[in-house]
Amino acid sequence: MEQRISVGFPIMREEPAEKRAFLPAFTRKLTEIGFEVFLEESYGNSLEITFDEYKHKNPFIHSASREETFNKDYVLILRSPSKSEYPLLGKNSCLISMLHYHTRPARIALIKELGMKTISLDSIVDDFNLRLVENMKAVAWNGLETAFSHFSKNNPALLKTDNAPWRVLVIGSGVVGKHAVDAATKFGRRERNAMHMEQGGAGVIVQLIGRNITIHPDQIRALLKNTDVLVDATQRYDPSQPIIRNEWLAHLPHHAVIVDLSVDPYTLDTHPPVVKGVEGIPQGNLDKYVFELDDPQWHETIPSEIPTQNKRLTVSCYSWPGIHPEACMRHYGQQIRRLMRVLHTKNYDTLSPDGLYFERALYRARVDTFIDRQGKN
Amino acid sequence: MTIKISNHKMTVGLPLMHVEAGEKRCFLPKLIGCLEKYGAQVVLEHGYGQELGISASEYQQAAPAVIFTDNTQVYQQDIVFLLRCPDEDRIRSMRHGACLVSMLHYGTRPKRIRLLRELGLQAISLDSITDDSGRRMVENFNAVAWNGMEAAFNLLQDIYPPPGFSNPSRPPIQVTLVGAGTLGAFTVRAAVRYGNLELQQKLSQKNIPGVIVSAVDVDITNQPRVMRELLEKTDILVDASSRPDTTKAIIPNQWLAFLPKHAIVLDLCVDPYQHMGDQFHTKGIEGIPQGNLDQYVFAPDDPVFKTIPENVPSAEKRHTVSCYSWPGIHPFECMQIYSSQLHPLMRTLVTQGGPQGVRPDGNFFERALSRALLTNYH
Repeated sequence: MEQRISVGFPIMREEPAEKRAFLPAFTRKLTEIGFEVFLEESYGNSLEITFDEYKHKNPFIHSASREETFNKDYVLILRSPSKSEYPLLGKNSCLISMLHYHTRPARIALIKELGMKTISLDSIVDDFNLRLVENMKAVAWNGLETAFSHFSKNNPALLKTDNAPWRVLVIGSGVVGKHAVDAATKFGRRERNAMHMEQGGAGVIVQLIGRNITIHPDQIRALLKNTDVLVDATQRYDPSQPIIRNEWLAHLPHHAVIVDLSVDPYTLDTHPPVVKGVEGIPQGNLDKYVFELDDPQWHETIPSEIPTQNKRLTVSCYSWPGIHPEACMRHYGQQIRRLMRVLHTKNYDTLSPDGLYFERALYRARVDTFIDRQGKN
Repeated sequence: MTIKISNHKMTVGLPLMHVEAGEKRCFLPKLIGCLEKYGAQVVLEHGYGQELGISASEYQQAAPAVIFTDNTQVYQQDIVFLLRCPDEDRIRSMRHGACLVSMLHYGTRPKRIRLLRELGLQAISLDSITDDSGRRMVENFNAVAWNGMEAAFNLLQDIYPPPGFSNPSRPPIQVTLVGAGTLGAFTVRAAVRYGNLELQQKLSQKNIPGVIVSAVDVDITNQPRVMRELLEKTDILVDASSRPDTTKAIIPNQWLAFLPKHAIVLDLCVDPYQHMGDQFHTKGIEGIPQGNLDQYVFAPDDPVFKTIPENVPSAEKRHTVSCYSWPGIHPFECMQIYSSQLHPLMRTLVTQGGPQGVRPDGNFFERALSRALLTNYH
């Protein structure tokens, strides 16, 4: 029998609340395309999916050790494994993961040094430079849902005492910002919006501003005074400078919530250093993404040089889509499936920039393509 | 004249659109070349592409076997492929069993669907081609938003009251956007950049305050108090909504009185005023005219306001910007986008031997095409 092209699925070993795993429908689809699937032992258990549910009498789905999964033709894992595990990758294997080439120079250097073949999921783009594997919508909706969940604890219909509309201020008009506007107009959840409107609520007014307003501190401060929810959805030209200085947060009403969708980390030891767009807010993850004002963990992710005297309740999560892990993986599975079809007939070395639509997109995400382009720039 | 084509080759006819003079769009030579490369005989109407400055020889270079003929003959091909839906007479002239590929808007054009079915035609609606997650694959919302905002800001520069649009002491421009869905999302991005990156840069260099976009969902417009407060400080009011019920306006005409005199109404939805059965469908913002590529800017005293159906209240008027085909304002750029989006889809349609060969469980592009087949629209 002809040997099938193999795909290994290691488990993501991140924070405990990182539950995401590709779903059985996706792995079954891969076997229909012609792949052989190897799942790390207990893969999917975090989502309460058993191996039997994956296996389902399918002769091309197997359980394997973590090391074995790293030795398959393709190794598919959403978040990058730790660098210490990179050497586990088989000599002829290709790692497919969110590798964020542009913002991870140290990772690129190691990939180069080890001679690894990688395809970065976040670099798979179509002819218009639009990402084919992304879940920006979930970033925005999950972030806004979390923020309004805070308000709805004691006020399920989110009715204000003066029946005024809610005011959301979104900073940044990129892809995430665009979704944030949509999500904010519906309180981050359509059912919640329906309940609010049914009960005579005044709805939400979402204000969106870009750089041509954020460079005017007086205008920003005036806007902050009337803001219930402040959303950072920026992609800054200069990440060494915040957009909203910590002292300006004093202008926000005390009840206001800050939503961090950009989730830029504080990395003061890089050149140039990177700080958050809203100065003095903590960085969250799937284990902890809501920070109350008196939270003892507030300062754990904030370097001491960063001013933090002005605080508002903050929601921040490095992996916003992971808050609803199954929905997230259904979404990614759908997006990746069509690409895996190409990788069944082509491989890392034979992908061509002149191939068909999805082949071209995959070609752009190879680490060698990225390095070549960097060299040319 | 009848053109002779070998029996087994599928033929694809691309007619000119023959609508308003400002409509210049045609598919580009690269896409025509691909149709031929994948096995189709391409038939173009005489003069195809000329309005875009593309000569017949450029098409012939891309597709050496291309045939130029008259409009009647083009409509006799297996597949008739054009961006905007042709008029009823032209649809009636198509061969029984042929396939019309165009923006057919099944959802809002029940008469058209009936006609196509009565005539035994097949059809693929470009606006119904969606991927597995429901995202439209042939669309240019980006151009709708940017071209519309650009037109609105061009006008606002001319009519903005003292101290003037380009004066650093003026307040930020306030854009009120109704509808925060897909089109709304593109609109916010265009609006904060004045719909024109060069203008944005120019004003930014002079430290002139920028743009604040206030977006609201359609249902908040049931709140007159909230809307009045917003409208009173609005410079540009934009309809980018997707209404669940197009028989009801979102902004009643009398609310336009709350807008400052210099305010501009920007219509990106371009829903028409039309009778369908015993129902009357109206625009989202009541009492504004419908524009097209020949005229899309209307002053309050423009005679076109008198052409609005009598049953539509239109006493309150503001400068209005509306165009049925916003992407067509920059036709070449628009067709570059559409051509790229359509390339893999038309390749699939041709290589599958036409709509009857498109499988609902086929590859990604087959599935997408299948969703847009008239036979699959219920």
